[in-house]
Amino acid sequence: MTTTSYGLNKALTAIARQHTMKERLTDDDLAGHELTEAERAALKAGDTAGLYHLGANPYLIRRVFRARFAL
Amino acid sequence: MAQIVAAALASHSPLITGRPEVSKPEQRDRFYAGFRELHRRFAAARPDLVVMFVNDHLQNFPYSNMPAFCIGLAGAYDAPSPGGARLMRIPARKVPGAPEWGMALLERGLAAGIDFAYSHEIESWDELSVPLHFVAPEGTLPVVPVYTNCAAPPLPTPRRCYEVGGFVGRFIQSRPAAERIALLATGGISHWVGTPETGRINPEFDHTVLDHVSRGDVEPLLRLTRDEIERDAGNGGQEIRNWLALLGAVPGWKGELLAYEPVADWITGCATVWVHP
Repeated sequence: MTTTSYGLNKALTAIARQHTMKERLTDDDLAGHELTEAERAALKAGDTAGLYHLGANPYLIRRVFRARFAL
Repeated sequence: MAQIVAAALASHSPLITGRPEVSKPEQRDRFYAGFRELHRRFAAARPDLVVMFVNDHLQNFPYSNMPAFCIGLAGAYDAPSPGGARLMRIPARKVPGAPEWGMALLERGLAAGIDFAYSHEIESWDELSVPLHFVAPEGTLPVVPVYTNCAAPPLPTPRRCYEVGGFVGRFIQSRPAAERIALLATGGISHWVGTPETGRINPEFDHTVLDHVSRGDVEPLLRLTRDEIERDAGNGGQEIRNWLALLGAVPGWKGELLAYEPVADWITGCATVWVHP
């Protein structure tokens, strides 16, 4: 079964649409989003692998955290 | 019956144009040469419009409403938008759509049980911009994009994509004889984007796909599962659905490989393929 988190992907989509690239997110960035504690922690740490395993879409991970990818 | 005067498959990546300097010059030259040859053949074919089998990358379709197949009905497409132009380093431009043609495809599809979604406004990214930059640089060729969900699982099966492409092919056969239609599928082949394996390419998978396409032997590709593609070709490899949709529109046609380069610096197995009877 597909692992996907609507909360994570909704938050990442909203941030991606601001067209700013981040190393990590802040509580301000995440205000109003419904997220689990693990999801919030991974977003605030910019933990790209952790986000992937929590069900974030990798295209959204890359768009938001582009600065964390060497290529 | 309208004629399909050109058909091609091409990889897309924003880095192909956005970061040419990071690639090895000989690889870049060979791959760009494949695109130049596609341009030459498209221009010689004098198409009236191009049906593009492509996918969104979460630019447009949100997780609140995710279509499996979606026909673009816009009057024009930013390919690229000003923002995309900065990242892809190609000029911002609007390419014309063909909304009446798209509406006819949509209505005939719904009547035949192909439940397309539709969109009057699409923010395109590299799926239209990068291939069109090379293949239709004049920017005058009208585009009808058929979007398939390749990026937000669960995804339609490869076989279903082939069937939907088959419907598009039959629709073209029903069109007036004077119409000259081009087909262009973009995306693939192997690449891992945004996953923990970002940057990996699997040339072995790519050669397998290209060999099947060259022989016109797509059945083994239609049997691939999402998990098999994810394992061997990455999340980006799911975009071969676009290729399979195009091949469904021209059953029995074969591929002529113009270029294949596993460009590590662009994190994508990059190919251009001419498809012919």
